[in-house]
Amino acid sequence: MSVPYLKEAAAAGETEKLIRFVRLHLGDGNEEVGRKEIDKSWIEALKILLRYEPVDDSLIASVLERDESTLALLYFHLHFSLIRKSGEWIHDGSR
Amino acid sequence: MTEADSKNRPAISTAQADPREAGTQLRPGLWETINERYPGSMIRKDSYVPLARLGKPLAEARLTLISSCGVHARDDRPLDVCHPFGDFQFRRVPSQLRHEDLTIHQLKYPHDDADVDINVIFPIERLQELAAEGVLGGLTDNFFSFIGYNMDPQKFERTAARDIADAVVSEERADVALLAPA
Repeated sequence: MSVPYLKEAAAAGETEKLIRFVRLHLGDGNEEVGRKEIDKSWIEALKILLRYEPVDDSLIASVLERDESTLALLYFHLHFSLIRKSGEWIHDGSR
Repeated sequence: MTEADSKNRPAISTAQADPREAGTQLRPGLWETINERYPGSMIRKDSYVPLARLGKPLAEARLTLISSCGVHARDDRPLDVCHPFGDFQFRRVPSQLRHEDLTIHQLKYPHDDADVDINVIFPIERLQELAAEGVLGGLTDNFFSFIGYNMDPQKFERTAARDIADAVVSEERADVALLAPA
């Protein structure tokens, strides 16, 4: 899905096309795998928070002040970071 | 790949397994469905720049290598593999580095074999040998690498591709470029 295709979908409010792209990206071209990967990263975040360890509130507050584009890309980075922590990494050659 | 491209694909003997399906380096069905799953992502060009003729024998020419494999020096900054549209940056890879000096930063293709021998996607050591043997006149100081996954080929052409082309000509003074997709 090219960026022009995605821009067109976003302008038309065709969210199914957009979420399909996200799933394909996160699932290395497999939509169903991508769907599970999204669930997996949220579960990993939840499992970490269940440990009730101290958190850096000021860091979160300052990060959220950053520009939207940086935060949006950070969101993708956090997803992949949490997937790595889960120990169920499907990328880099493990099909 | 468009539907028309698919129809024009060279026929493969039935006695011979299609390596794009049988090989371990490509998921089954990927080739047939890529345009359905990534509509609009394939580059369409209405005009082509003709390839330039080599102005001197290879034995006198300085060669550079340009690859979409996402290989870079271990101590270099990683390319961004998380961005959903791709990374529009490239990395210079010193041409005298060895397999052990390099890493592959890429999510979108399996590189089990390349982890064992980087030369299968980035033939840096083979080119060093060809230069040492005099088959090539020499190598540029740096080769070039970027991430092939990219959803905005037009922007890529305006940014990374243009910058690599400029560097190849004005900085590295290459006589010939070897393009290696991954």
